[in-house]
Amino acid sequence: MSFLMITGRTVNQGVTVENKTSPEYAAETSTCFMHEFDMMELGLDDGDAIRVTGPCGDVVMRAAASLEVEMGTVFVPYGPYANHIVAAGTRSTGMPDFKSHEVEIEPTDEEPKLVHKLMEDLGGLAYDR
Amino acid sequence: MIVKDAVCPFCGCLCDDIEVEVEGNRVVAVTNACELGMTKFMGEKRLKNPILRVENEWKDITYDEAIRYAADMLLSAERPLLYGWSGTHGEAQCVGVHMAELIHGVIDNTSSVCHGPSILAIQEVGHPGCTLGVVKNRADLVIYWGSNPIDAHPRHLSRYTRYAEGFFLENAFRDRKVIVVDVRKTETANIADEFVQIKPGGDYAVLSALRAIVQGKTDTIPRTVAGVTREQLIRVANLCKSAKFGAVYFGLGLTMTQGKYKNIRNAIEFISELNRHTKFTISAMRGHYNVYGSNEVNTWMTGYPFGIDFSRGIAFYNPGETTAVDILARKECDAALIVGSDPAAHFPRKCLEHLAEIPVVQLDPYPNATTAFCNVQIPVAVTGIDAEGTAYRMDGVPIRTRRVLSTDYLSDEEVLSRMYALMQEEPRP
Repeated sequence: MSFLMITGRTVNQGVTVENKTSPEYAAETSTCFMHEFDMMELGLDDGDAIRVTGPCGDVVMRAAASLEVEMGTVFVPYGPYANHIVAAGTRSTGMPDFKSHEVEIEPTDEEPKLVHKLMEDLGGLAYDR
Repeated sequence: MIVKDAVCPFCGCLCDDIEVEVEGNRVVAVTNACELGMTKFMGEKRLKNPILRVENEWKDITYDEAIRYAADMLLSAERPLLYGWSGTHGEAQCVGVHMAELIHGVIDNTSSVCHGPSILAIQEVGHPGCTLGVVKNRADLVIYWGSNPIDAHPRHLSRYTRYAEGFFLENAFRDRKVIVVDVRKTETANIADEFVQIKPGGDYAVLSALRAIVQGKTDTIPRTVAGVTREQLIRVANLCKSAKFGAVYFGLGLTMTQGKYKNIRNAIEFISELNRHTKFTISAMRGHYNVYGSNEVNTWMTGYPFGIDFSRGIAFYNPGETTAVDILARKECDAALIVGSDPAAHFPRKCLEHLAEIPVVQLDPYPNATTAFCNVQIPVAVTGIDAEGTAYRMDGVPIRTRRVLSTDYLSDEEVLSRMYALMQEEPRP
């Protein structure tokens, strides 16, 4: 199913943002807040893994029911997971389209990757001492 | 020991009434701060010493080696990018600008991915703003548009708007109306007197409709505009016109969405229209600690607020061309110095693919997502906790921040000054 993906701040994102190697930061920024009816349509329960595909590839997140989002819209806290699928075009402003991406969402059996793994997939080397 | 009136180094509110209890050079308790600020003060797991990536391993190195590495990297680059700067003080930002000029690099700050579009709009039509204190004491109507302070600026409501006592308001909680405009029904929307829910991407149309109503052209308004009924639009316009003093605070809901800076331009022009009837101001909800300061310092040193390119020997500015996301996505820069920010967590993946291919040096107290792309990371004092300096609040007021801990870590300014001194020793063409 197609959705409009919006990204933004949450309290938990702000609380964990200074400790990006923590499982709490990974859990918060890989959460995709959805309308309950949309989750029913996709056969999803709270915490189920989903594959979110955007213009630049896909990433695995977890679905969470939220009263805040409308049907057809999903909300993902700012972070490396949403940015994994956001396009880099800025339409001559310097600002990517962080709040207006069409994404495809489907259930998956895969687990969300850790932040370290996401970075290593792109050529980085995790520091975890 | 208890340090009173410390300044919180998390968001653009720069709350200056924090009490920090320090025991044996560790913060053990924080009073008055919000959850975000408290976690920042209590931060742990700092990097102990500079680290160097050697193939697939991390090696500990000295500060001298790390600073020499960074200076050499920047001197030998043809198109270096110096990015970040919002999590550090004005004093360090000044050194950054001098450095960028010396090596003919590009210096950009995190506002290019937060309120950069707001600045583009302000450059077009100006900025009728005021300090937070004026709003607290005078505003009887506050509008949060595309911003969610309960999550992003948790004390904004209690210090300046919804829950703040005002000198010219007898009963501030009763006399001050709050309107929230958003695509999501957030926690902030739940405490508003009026919530205007618009369809994503509909901000521009709603602002235009409100402008038309304030101009007396109500007949031209269709039954709904971007999901907002005509009746509600008229009600909101009337609330605005009948306010004695109104203040709009807008967030990334306007700058990151369809229309970007044109949304802000329309919002500012709506406020200009309201100023024909009453007194109204509009300001950006700046998110990242001293991001406002990076715009100020860059502007008073180069004439431009962000995305400044010195490759021609003089300052050149063209957002979309000289901004960090575009430069990285085009694979244009051949070295990057990152200070006071974490682009690997906040930039689209295409930018990170290029960061992985070029030498990167980062100044940051903590390991973060960008660490993975670093050749060298240099740990520094936490700006506003164990380093003091000047930071600009979201309303443009510069505040001297306090130091609550004393550690042996060098500040951003000290590390950058040492790098700059080494770079100045090299003969210039």
